[in-house]
Amino acid sequence: MRNSLVKFGQAIKLPGLSFGLAFTLTGLIIAFSDAKVLSKIGSPLTFIKSAVATAGNAYLALFQGSIFDINLTKGHNFFQGFYPLSETIVISTPLILTGLSVALAFKSGLFNIGAQGQFIFGAIGASYVGFHFHLPIVIHVIAAALAGMVLAAIWGGAVGLLKAKTGAHEVILTIMMNYIAGYFILWTLKTSQFLRPGRIDPIAPEVNQSARLPLLAGANLRIHAGIFIALAAAVFVWWLLTKTTIGYKFRSVGANSAASKTAGISVPFVLTATMAICGALAGLGGAVQVLGSEHALNADIAGSFGFDAITVALLGRAQPLGTVFAALLFGALHAGGRTMQSSTGVPLDIVLVTQALIVLFIAAPTFVRFVFRLKKINSSAGLTSKGWNG
Amino acid sequence: MKKSLKLMAVVASLTLITGVAVAPASQAAKIKLCLALDTGGVDDRSFNEGAWKGAQASTVSTAEYLPATSSADFAPNIKKFVDKGCDLIVGVGFAISAEIVKSAKANPKIKYAVVDDAGQDCDANWNCKNVPNVKGLTFQTDEAAFMAGYLAAGMSKTGKVATYGGAPYPTVTIFMDGYARGVAYYNKQKGKNVQVLGWDPANPKSGTFVGNFSDQAKALTISKGFEQQGADVILPVGGSLGAPYAAESEKSKKSLTIWVDSDGYGLLTAGKSILLTTVVKEIGASIKSVAKDVASKKFTGDKYVGTLKNKGVSIAEYHDLSARVPGSLKTEVRTIRGAIIAGTLKVN
Repeated sequence: MRNSLVKFGQAIKLPGLSFGLAFTLTGLIIAFSDAKVLSKIGSPLTFIKSAVATAGNAYLALFQGSIFDINLTKGHNFFQGFYPLSETIVISTPLILTGLSVALAFKSGLFNIGAQGQFIFGAIGASYVGFHFHLPIVIHVIAAALAGMVLAAIWGGAVGLLKAKTGAHEVILTIMMNYIAGYFILWTLKTSQFLRPGRIDPIAPEVNQSARLPLLAGANLRIHAGIFIALAAAVFVWWLLTKTTIGYKFRSVGANSAASKTAGISVPFVLTATMAICGALAGLGGAVQVLGSEHALNADIAGSFGFDAITVALLGRAQPLGTVFAALLFGALHAGGRTMQSSTGVPLDIVLVTQALIVLFIAAPTFVRFVFRLKKINSSAGLTSKGWNG
Repeated sequence: MKKSLKLMAVVASLTLITGVAVAPASQAAKIKLCLALDTGGVDDRSFNEGAWKGAQASTVSTAEYLPATSSADFAPNIKKFVDKGCDLIVGVGFAISAEIVKSAKANPKIKYAVVDDAGQDCDANWNCKNVPNVKGLTFQTDEAAFMAGYLAAGMSKTGKVATYGGAPYPTVTIFMDGYARGVAYYNKQKGKNVQVLGWDPANPKSGTFVGNFSDQAKALTISKGFEQQGADVILPVGGSLGAPYAAESEKSKKSLTIWVDSDGYGLLTAGKSILLTTVVKEIGASIKSVAKDVASKKFTGDKYVGTLKNKGVSIAEYHDLSARVPGSLKTEVRTIRGAIIAGTLKVN
């Protein structure tokens, strides 16, 4: 027990310190980019006071926008105050799934930049089954999600197969396939199958009621059952990697593909299977976004879920649990950024600065060690992707 | 230290008291005007920016905005404004309309407006009805684009002009419709055969689109493609999409450009010398007017339609190119404007 606690402490040390450092720096940026604060630079005491107040207010708003806001309980029940938390989870849900997709690829030594494209195919599949067919409840949701997963698994698996058969690098493949997916959805939305009746702009019909994921806390909050799917997927990835033979093969190829080949593991199979599962995970993210919160497919349904996923997986150190927490953090930053902008005028973009700084510090453990005068930080655990020659 | 704190407290409470005393007089009529923007950012040199400028210029309101990073932000942004107690929530852009209507139905006491859409409540079969607390702010931009099309045809030396859009939204294609019809009208009047590349009102599926409102590199590629096909006046419809193309064309001198939404002359850093005109859509003015209505309690859900007649749409000055536009062409364009306003010339 004690041992595992120490291990846990070791594991979160670097992300935790990076996190603190990033927030401190962002606070300075917020304070120093504020004209009112800068105008007080003449008297150091007032200057520091107003700088701390400005940054503090921004962070308070960030909290109110992502976890709990007492102001929202006025005239409603107490529960309504958790609306921001619900928003955080709604944004995090697809991000957990795309994050897991990237994390799993890391474990097999692959760099999956294609979560964006896989997400799009998942969303297309789920949307089509969702609005085109009329099925009983429960079955309809499952069918729609499965359709999205299968499409995305094929899309993702193709990358693994191409890499295995031709040696083409997955980074190039996934980047290019993101473009193809991005334009494919534009074309799809123009076809008569997907065009919403009466509209000529690229938006599909809303999915039927029977294909929607149930809301968890009433009509006022958007939180939906997708979060359970995402958490189940995290457990699945953990189970796959640590408790199954196939997961062992994945990790083995990730650690050393030449040795694995010698040991009798089929590397082409592992590459294809990994990418297919990664595709299915990201595709499930797209499906959950359509069936859970958006209900209709549109051209920018994928937002930046596929790209943020890379950061999330890195921050989560390619561990399922870590990825879940990292996605929740990113969701909270996005949801809170909205309130920060609207109540303190600090631009939403500052959130991106925070995200970037966190990743920067994680990628530069030596710097964090230097700042905090630490002797050693265990920084290599988890990531086994090997750059260009892998 | 203690003394200075005390002094500060006194000063603070004094300002508070005087502030409170003064407040009712100056702020009595101020309403809270909240803008839920479309994707593209507040400084998109186009409709988000135009809307925000209009909102800031409004003297009857205090304005604020929220940007959207993707369409998934629309609903939570509007909800945020509802929770903040905004008096008037304006959805900027056609894409946000459905969320505005949804929120308006749930909060009948708040006033809403939506730019570029009628703001109606439509069911799956496209049966629409008005929502009393939503005002649609729409623009007959084809009237102004018609003038621009005629002008473009008159200025073309190659007999080819072009247009393309960001995405096939009705609010984008209406520019292209007016432009193409303006060219067709020129051909009819002059017995010429100026071609329009990139858009045919009779066959909208063949239209040329970037696919979004942010990929300026692709917009530049499309523009260059049209130049290679011989087009020498190009109208890109979609925010600031055409900015790199305008800068490039200023050097290559291969084509003139027409800007959209707000007069490009004040916005473009490069390309002013080849800017023929702008098809102006006065989004800011429409927001100012609806804010005034709300402040003076005259708000109705009736649609606002910007036309040449009410100056909601127009074409901007020719600026640097004024000397190159023949006087006769200027007169003809003016005549067309008069005929459209009088209703004797139909643009659709």
